[in-house]
Amino acid sequence: MTELYPLTPPGPSRRSTLRAAGGSTLLLGLGLAGCRSAVSDASSAPKGASAAPKRGGVLNLAVNADFAPALLFAQSGQSLQHRLIYNTLTRYDDRLSPKPELATSWTYAKDGRSITLRLRDDVTFHNGRTFTADDVIFAVKNLQNPVRAAQLRSTAAAVTGFEKRGDHELVLKLAHPVNNLFDLFEFMIITDSETVEDAVTGKKLIGTGPFKLKKWSPGSGLSLTRNDTYWQPGRPYLDGVEVRVIPQADALISSLRSGQSQLSFDVPGKSLGVVKGDPHLAIKNYDTGAGAVYLGVNTTVAPLNDRTVRQALAWAIDRDRLLAQTLGGYGLASAAPWPKSSPAFTEAHRTHYTHNPGKARQLLKSAGHTRLELPLLHLALPGDTAIAESIQYDLKQVGVHVTLQPTDGATAQKKLISQGMPALWTMGHGFAQVQPSTLAVSAYPFNEAKNTSKYRSAEYTKVVQEAWTEPETNAAAANALHEKISSILLDEAFLIDLVVRGQVQVTADRVHGVALNKFSYLNLDNAYLV
Amino acid sequence: MRGYLLRRLPSALLVLIAASFVIFAILRLVPGDPATTLAGPDADAATVAAIRDRLGLDAPLLSQYVHWIGSLLTGDLGPSYAIGGRTADLIGDGLGATAELTAAALLFVIVLGTAFGVLGATSRSRWVRTAVRVTTTAALAVPPFVSGVLLVLLFAVVLGVLPPGGRVAFLSAPDLAAQYLVLPALCLALPSAAVLGRYLKDGIERGLAEDYIRTATAAGIAPRRLLWRHTLPNALPPVVTLLGMQVGNLLGGAVLVEAIFAWPGLGQLAEQGLQRRDYPVVQDLLLLLVAVFVLVQLLTDLVYAWLDPRIRWE
Repeated sequence: MTELYPLTPPGPSRRSTLRAAGGSTLLLGLGLAGCRSAVSDASSAPKGASAAPKRGGVLNLAVNADFAPALLFAQSGQSLQHRLIYNTLTRYDDRLSPKPELATSWTYAKDGRSITLRLRDDVTFHNGRTFTADDVIFAVKNLQNPVRAAQLRSTAAAVTGFEKRGDHELVLKLAHPVNNLFDLFEFMIITDSETVEDAVTGKKLIGTGPFKLKKWSPGSGLSLTRNDTYWQPGRPYLDGVEVRVIPQADALISSLRSGQSQLSFDVPGKSLGVVKGDPHLAIKNYDTGAGAVYLGVNTTVAPLNDRTVRQALAWAIDRDRLLAQTLGGYGLASAAPWPKSSPAFTEAHRTHYTHNPGKARQLLKSAGHTRLELPLLHLALPGDTAIAESIQYDLKQVGVHVTLQPTDGATAQKKLISQGMPALWTMGHGFAQVQPSTLAVSAYPFNEAKNTSKYRSAEYTKVVQEAWTEPETNAAAANALHEKISSILLDEAFLIDLVVRGQVQVTADRVHGVALNKFSYLNLDNAYLV
Repeated sequence: MRGYLLRRLPSALLVLIAASFVIFAILRLVPGDPATTLAGPDADAATVAAIRDRLGLDAPLLSQYVHWIGSLLTGDLGPSYAIGGRTADLIGDGLGATAELTAAALLFVIVLGTAFGVLGATSRSRWVRTAVRVTTTAALAVPPFVSGVLLVLLFAVVLGVLPPGGRVAFLSAPDLAAQYLVLPALCLALPSAAVLGRYLKDGIERGLAEDYIRTATAAGIAPRRLLWRHTLPNALPPVVTLLGMQVGNLLGGAVLVEAIFAWPGLGQLAEQGLQRRDYPVVQDLLLLLVAVFVLVQLLTDLVYAWLDPRIRWE
């Protein structure tokens, strides 16, 4: 024992220290014993749980970004909750074949210029109002409104007339045949027309879906409770869903591993290794993917106005390494935009460009270049920076020296829309998971009339328009046109696809029956906890 | 005093007005606006134009500025452009969450700092003193984004006794709220508690070496009474000053800790507002912070003037 001060040993004695520690522990223990546990409260399951579907329990869903009501009618990264609160007219199966939801059946006119929809007559909104054909008319008109920023607005705008045949039958008249009408029906949520302005501010979200909005706490998440009058008998099984916003990846993984959350689609690919080792968590990779990573090329900047140079860039990139190192291997290295589930997907297109630096150098040489210096814009986020650095490394090997331009999301988006991108940029695009023609008419980077690459070609415009207006019933002709679109995209290389991101679902082993639609709307109609 | 206050008020108002100009201008100078954010990456120019029109972003800048100041003066901050909900509600909720976290962290700072200081200075066990020294050094050296992850791993993943993140409002369920608060508050408090503990330890050690302690000991005053009644109170004034300064650090640090523990405070709101170019939210939030700073300065000046009458007559 050491004496600090010879005259006074006033510090707490061992006995008093132990007494204080013991007392504190006792108090803490009593306190905790007397109150609920936040941990068990967050992971409640129905009583008497077994492996069979059972009603009850609250599912906690971890997301990395908050619900954005202003983007309710746009395709955004915050669309997961849409199918929980709302329904759509139809839903695609794995082969892009439409199945009934609020529409029970449909008939196309022979000329493809109208479609007759028969609607369910047993559906009510969360506020008690009955669902009718007027709600479908409102939903289509709502998406035609530019302020809703709906990416399928061009398809909605093709609907030029409505003919009601009673409350539950409706004819949509089209300006011309479109072959992606069911993309619109998969995308278009049916909202209560009377409260739509409250919906886009997050005040009231009134739909016909399996769950009702209890509360939205900005920054924290959404609380949803079971809709007892849901039109599907006995569904949903769950009493509620808590959507928790956890922006930081490590915190999100901890939330899953600790059992606080039981479901997430936002675990970064690179972090999935940690999840893989957890026996209580399961990983599912959807074939539809979660959009694609691409290298955009400004075709008005020399020497990128030369197609040979653009093709050289496409050969220079090691897509497999990029996939492994930046996305943890979850995805599909592909030179074409299509995921495996797309009717336009072919292995030949996927491997059209492989990693071949020798060929890239040869093409550059044939175009009269041995060294190029170009800027590359990318989003200033960790994952996007890693992708940009990977591209920078590959291009350097063939003599293309790239200067990275990290940029925040809003700035990058403005440049994308206003055609203000530098020579090169890398970002992500969606819409390849549905009808292939949707990509070329609804995704701005591919738009035949005006795109970020400033690429125009009469042939591309013609093929895209033909593919879009080809009647949906003529599958063979549509496939031939998809083939042409793919060929033009690959040959012209104004947008060089690199990797289709994996749509990865992480669930606790207690969760069953989770499904996603093609626009990543979460469907928990049949989900239950065991 | 009233005259002094009246002389100080115009400069405070001037600072606020100048700050409002700077905040408004900087946000407009940064590329991207709420319309492009709302329109999404696949939107066309017509969509962006329609949204700009709806939000009033195509009005002259002066008119937009006047509209903003008008909303502040009437107390109706209006709707958020991109996050959703009312701006006042968003800022009010965020402020409440950050204040709650900071207050809890301050409590931890006081309790842990006092424990570190007293044990470090007075324990008769070398092991305890060494443990305190190592703990305070580690608490100072390890940044919150590391200690936060470690705390979550230990208490949420391995032991499973506390939730890894999120927040429950204190008034709705105090027992659950306290459990959600423990880890982020502890993570935020550790560096400040270590600083406080070290200052307190030095103060106590200096106090114990004073003659009056020797006299009191000779007079037979119990050691515990000597520590808590005579030594500690004399060591506190500089520590209290330091504690005041640490409050600022805690508020700043809360922004980082909020991200680790998914705590929906002002830090998250500011980040979300900036990412989405939500002009009303970011403008009001920044101006609020400037106003708080101006108010604190004003109060400080008033306290000085109250303490020293000469300042009032300058």
